[in-house]
Amino acid sequence: MATVEVKNLRKQYRNVVALDGVSLEARAGQMVTLLGPSGCGKSTTLRCLAGFLEPDGGDVRIDGESILSIPSNRRGFGVVFQNYALFPHMTVAENVGYGLKLRKCAKSEIHARVVEVLRLVRLTGLEDRLPREISGGQQQRVALARALVLKPRLLLLDEPLANLDARLRDEVRWLVRDLQQQSGITAFYVTHDQSEAMAISDMVAVMKAGRVAQFASPREIYQRPAERYVANFTGEANILTCRTAVPAGETRMRVGVGGADLEVDCAPAARTAGDVELLLRPEALRLAGPDDTAAFRGIVTKCAFLGASQHCEIELPDGNILKLAAPPNARVVPGESAGVVIDCTHAWAMPKVPA
Amino acid sequence: MRRAARLQLLLGLPAVALIFVFMILPITNMVEMSFRTPGVTEPFGNDYTLMHYGRVLGDPYYWGALGRSLLVATTVTVLCLIVSYPVAWHLSKADGLKMVILYALIASPLMTGVLVRNFGWMIIAALNGPLNQSLLGLGLIDRPLRLLFTQGLVVLALVHVFMPFMVLPINNAIRNISPSLVEAAASMGASRSATFRDIVLPLSFPGIQAGVTLVFVLAIAAYVTPALLGGQMVTYMPTQIIAELTGTFRWPLGSTLAIGLSLTTLLVVAVFTLATWRLLDRVRA
Repeated sequence: MATVEVKNLRKQYRNVVALDGVSLEARAGQMVTLLGPSGCGKSTTLRCLAGFLEPDGGDVRIDGESILSIPSNRRGFGVVFQNYALFPHMTVAENVGYGLKLRKCAKSEIHARVVEVLRLVRLTGLEDRLPREISGGQQQRVALARALVLKPRLLLLDEPLANLDARLRDEVRWLVRDLQQQSGITAFYVTHDQSEAMAISDMVAVMKAGRVAQFASPREIYQRPAERYVANFTGEANILTCRTAVPAGETRMRVGVGGADLEVDCAPAARTAGDVELLLRPEALRLAGPDDTAAFRGIVTKCAFLGASQHCEIELPDGNILKLAAPPNARVVPGESAGVVIDCTHAWAMPKVPA
Repeated sequence: MRRAARLQLLLGLPAVALIFVFMILPITNMVEMSFRTPGVTEPFGNDYTLMHYGRVLGDPYYWGALGRSLLVATTVTVLCLIVSYPVAWHLSKADGLKMVILYALIASPLMTGVLVRNFGWMIIAALNGPLNQSLLGLGLIDRPLRLLFTQGLVVLALVHVFMPFMVLPINNAIRNISPSLVEAAASMGASRSATFRDIVLPLSFPGIQAGVTLVFVLAIAAYVTPALLGGQMVTYMPTQIIAELTGTFRWPLGSTLAIGLSLTTLLVVAVFTLATWRLLDRVRA
């Protein structure tokens, strides 16, 4: 088990800034996900951790000691690549046992450990196959086994599921999480898939243009995002520009939006921000029934039947549009007026940050 | 489907015709020639005989020429491989302008005509040539070395000209190795030399095999360079064949020698291919 501190990591290619001061930390045994669109610096960060890239500035410390001067082959980290990177000329067993062979382990020990780790990833019986003779999901599990068999101090996974189809992705995702938790290995996981990030991580770093926009638990990232960018990247979001916003108590604000006046929880930075935006996740909104007091009233502009629910869009008097899920049999007719009830415990005010 | 098949046939026809006219027919003709009796006033007689095969197989002189050819070709191939691999590695890592310049430099031996190139070597290697002058000037030797008309010079000149045929396929093979394989090996603890030994070298083998085959076949059949730089004292198979065909005008004997050389080459390439079959089968993508 290892704790990892990434401090103010910087990397520049010619005239493109890839990392603009990335700071993160992983406590022992944690799974930390780097989440963001392509080009945000998440893979670059991981490659710096692995030692494949040398950062221009900043530091990476494992259990308090800087590792930047250690070459990648002496770091003792397990790396799982998006394209699996299995050695095509070695069998499954040779791939998994390669690191042990380099460590001059006895043949019998290599065999025992390879068999054991292949059992963990449920690939028993495929020892003598070549990578090209097994499926993509199996290849990815070999890659995982190959990294785990060395009992690494740190496990680095670079979009390990991106090349798998949806069903396999789900299966391998849970396998990765289970194995990581069982072995207690600290892990960094790079992905652009927010549901993947939420499901398997202890902490998520949402990255934006070479910086960490927010580093927090999945729950906090989703429910209490620091800014619009984070909110949009972590799920369906209604983000309304507030007309007025005044602090109300330590962590709350009163905001005027869409013809309503609400008291909601807020990000600390929102209290001093010039402009404030209100985040309403679809689950914070409900179509008003006859007995409800609607917070908002607006005109239905769109309605699509999805089976288990209906997707509705309602335009408020101030031009903001609300997206929400209505019960499948509710009467929602485009062009008619509708009321919306807000669950203020799921509302969140955040500062408006220029994109 | 029928249309597609007909189109395929049509597209393949020029190549088939070319091979038939310029390869199958001449080889058939040569095989037939090798069984002809010797002629008295013409290059060949009208009857058929096995005597040339008996003569070639029984004469140590021809075995000597074949042995020398095999030795030179093998030496050239091995040296070419050793010299070319690092060049191919650098080429495979280069891009942009650097890559273009490297390609041009590597192909440069092929851009000079065969006679000009070999006369160049004669001038360089002459007793009072620039090579001896420089070595004398540097005080490395006391008297000029006899370099011209030696096997060493033949080997050097052949390595020089055949290097592109080794570099280019190996460069291609190394380029096809995903960089993440090298990174994966490093993450598992492999040093640079272990990564080279266990990953890069085996995976570049298809290029090595292509290069080795090309260079060996070209080297064993080389005529102009051994004829010009090898001198009159020793014979190689190709120079001997040409001597029989155009010097003594014994066409049947020359044909028999040519067939012997072809079969030997084929045998060596076949043995090499079979010996490395397993490795190649593993690394094919």
